Amino acid sequence: MGQEFVLLISASIFCVGAAGFIIRRNPLIMFMSVELMLNSVNFLLITYSSFLNSLDGQIFALFIMTVAAAEVVVGLAIILTIFRTRHDLDVDHIDMLKG
Amino acid sequence: MLEIATVFDFTHDMVILVVGLTAVLASLGVVLCSSPIYCALYLIGHMICLALLFLLYNAEFLAVVQIIVYAGAVMILFLFIIALLGGKKEVQENSLHRSMALAFVFTLLGELYLSATVGPTQQVHGEIPPELFGTAKAIGLELFSKHLVAFELASALLLVAAVGVICLAKFSFAPLRRRVR
Amino acid sequence: MTLVTLSNLLFLPPEERVGQVQTLYQWVSAGSFKLDLAILVDPLSVFMFLVVTGVGFVIHVYSVGYMHDDPEYSRFFAYLNLFIFSMLVLVAAADFFFLIVGWALVGLASYLLIGFWREKPSAVLAARKAFVMNVIGDVGMVIAALVIFESFGTLSFVDVFAAAPGMFRPNDDTILLITLLLLVGAFAKSAQLPLHTWLPDAMEGPTPVSALIHAATMVTAGVYLVARCHVLYELAPYTMYFIAGVGIITAIFAGSMAMVQYDIKRVIAYSTMSQLGYMFLAMGIGVYSLGMFHLMTHAFFKALLFMAAGSVIHSLDGEQDIRKMGGLQKVMPLTHLTFLIGALALAGFPLTSGYFSKEAIILSSYHAEMGNIVFWAIAVLAAGMTAFYIFRIYLCTFFGELRSPGAHPHESPMIMVVPLLILAALALLGGVLGPWVDSFLAPVFGHVVEHSHDAVLETIALVAGIGGIATAGLLYMVSKDRMDLVKEAMAPIYDLLFHKYYVDEIYDFLIVRPTKAIGAFMEQKVEREGLDFTVDQVGLQVKEVSHVISLWQSGKVRAYALNMIVGVVTILLFVVFM
Repeated sequence: MGQEFVLLISASIFCVGAAGFIIRRNPLIMFMSVELMLNSVNFLLITYSSFLNSLDGQIFALFIMTVAAAEVVVGLAIILTIFRTRHDLDVDHIDMLKG
Repeated sequence: MLEIATVFDFTHDMVILVVGLTAVLASLGVVLCSSPIYCALYLIGHMICLALLFLLYNAEFLAVVQIIVYAGAVMILFLFIIALLGGKKEVQENSLHRSMALAFVFTLLGELYLSATVGPTQQVHGEIPPELFGTAKAIGLELFSKHLVAFELASALLLVAAVGVICLAKFSFAPLRRRVR
Repeated sequence: MTLVTLSNLLFLPPEERVGQVQTLYQWVSAGSFKLDLAILVDPLSVFMFLVVTGVGFVIHVYSVGYMHDDPEYSRFFAYLNLFIFSMLVLVAAADFFFLIVGWALVGLASYLLIGFWREKPSAVLAARKAFVMNVIGDVGMVIAALVIFESFGTLSFVDVFAAAPGMFRPNDDTILLITLLLLVGAFAKSAQLPLHTWLPDAMEGPTPVSALIHAATMVTAGVYLVARCHVLYELAPYTMYFIAGVGIITAIFAGSMAMVQYDIKRVIAYSTMSQLGYMFLAMGIGVYSLGMFHLMTHAFFKALLFMAAGSVIHSLDGEQDIRKMGGLQKVMPLTHLTFLIGALALAGFPLTSGYFSKEAIILSSYHAEMGNIVFWAIAVLAAGMTAFYIFRIYLCTFFGELRSPGAHPHESPMIMVVPLLILAALALLGGVLGPWVDSFLAPVFGHVVEHSHDAVLETIALVAGIGGIATAGLLYMVSKDRMDLVKEAMAPIYDLLFHKYYVDEIYDFLIVRPTKAIGAFMEQKVEREGLDFTVDQVGLQVKEVSHVISLWQSGKVRAYALNMIVGVVTILLFVVFM
């Protein structure tokens, strides 16, 4: 399969993730959307690592996974804390930093 | 008569096509489902599709990592949280925000498609990958020689994240004072 | 305290290094401009180290007793040590930049110390006055440094002094400008005419401060500066004459004012100005080491006088008016003795330290290359005045009846008396150091001062001194009526002197009032109606606009994310279509 196909798949997933992040109001789903975007980039890195016959892309993807895992864990803990204090999970209601 | 290699290539391509499209559809499912639990399930499907794609692109090790870390650990965590907080359905309203978001995201998609197909991007061609490409051994050799420092830093990052999560989860904070309007 | 002791120990062994620059590290290096954090170690700076830390140490010990009951004891010592530190920076500086840094720091420290009793309005005003005067000097110094950098391309003492003789003919415009600008700083710091008015007012500070700053160390900075830059001054004989002239005029001017003041510390302050005038005279006529020697002996006996006066004031619960003192020699024998020694040294009584240094300067003012009979005559006259006023306050304070009912004078505690005794010994015997100072400083100044001897002139000067003492004795010991008679007979002069030649009033009329008028005008018209209005409007408009913009900051994560996507789209548009 050509490289265009890979690019198109990756771009589609990324855009879907971005749309999800903007449209959804549930922070959990927003986090899932972030995972989608990260995964699309991982996918691109890995396929091009294969095209270029260089392992750097895979290493990079591995590190992205590490960071993503850390991020998800912390993010979920924050969501948990927010829920505990506010009993509400709508991100639009969390606007105390409003100018 | 078709050469056996051509047949293999064709099958290979078809598999990639199907799995790739499934991944995109699954991702759409994540975004479009209103119930968090379905979203999580779609995301797991998406992860597995991606793991398959990794496998097809010579990244065995990362495919396994994808399954274990993402589809396993991270998604379990998500499901736990959903179970804990209750998977309430989200009502989508048609707002300016929503339509603007969609407009811009579609523009972004168009731009990316354009840059992927008609833009000045060049096809890259590496040689045929060697036997060991993408195996745990190869990744390990690379990781512990060239990227040792980064690897250690990543471990530190994970440690910090673990400590941070314990702090966040263990100590309860006093409820924040609501803004009086 | 420990710090000062430590630096004492560090510098007490006289280091024989000459003209050595120790670069601690390079601070700034921009193009041709280099600035090193360096200290210059040569006999002159070591000499100053010794004076500053030596006298400083004694004064610290004294302060422990003097300030013992003050609620802000620790603040006082913090300031005192800041002062010592800045003075050492000033003295150790190896270039004009750090000289100015030390110079300004000393000014700051003196401001803080003079205004130490901040609840006293007069102290605050005096501190401000001192600061303003010092800043006038600082400005002169800074401009001088800029001119020096412009013409030499460096600020380092060593380089400048090495280059100067080859660059300028004597009395070149530039060298005159540099030396005169440096003099502005020196005069301001050393309270010479016409920038002297801060020094008497500075007596509002605690007495150890007066002793430290206004007698022993800070005011000598100007003298040190001239000595340090003597290479430049030798290229500008006109400036030298100017220094000598101002010095001698200040000497007699301050001496005459000191004769009629009633505040014991003020008298000593005027006396300081007068003695500084002698030092500048010595600088002006080129006998630098004599000037430095007088600086040292003066530091001893003037610190002694201040601290003895402080001891008196302390025992009288803050009374500073000599008209209310008297008869203290019985209750305060040690203070009396040390004050007497200080007074004798100041008056130049034979065999005290002041005798050696002052007589040498007076003699040189006639015999040195640049001296002349006018300088000598005025110097002798000033010496007579010196003897008169110091014995006037001595007699008023320690003899006769106690004129302040209700006071219970007592001898000061040992921690205050012991420093007095140390300084008294130095003031009495410091004279023997004269030849040593000469030879020690000789490498810096390039020559040894020839001590001329002239029996006739020496005798006249001596007679003037003793005459002054005798006059004081006659007027204040024998009969009080006679004093009043004299006072009436010389009423106009007395008034003039008592009001300090009306210098403060003249300054007030010439400078302060026009400035205030301009200030009032500027405040009303320019500031209120011009600047404030503009600034207010700018502020208000910005507030309006930002209020509108702040609506954008909705606090909603999704809106921010949308903004981000918009940004990404825009950038990609450029990437794709450009």
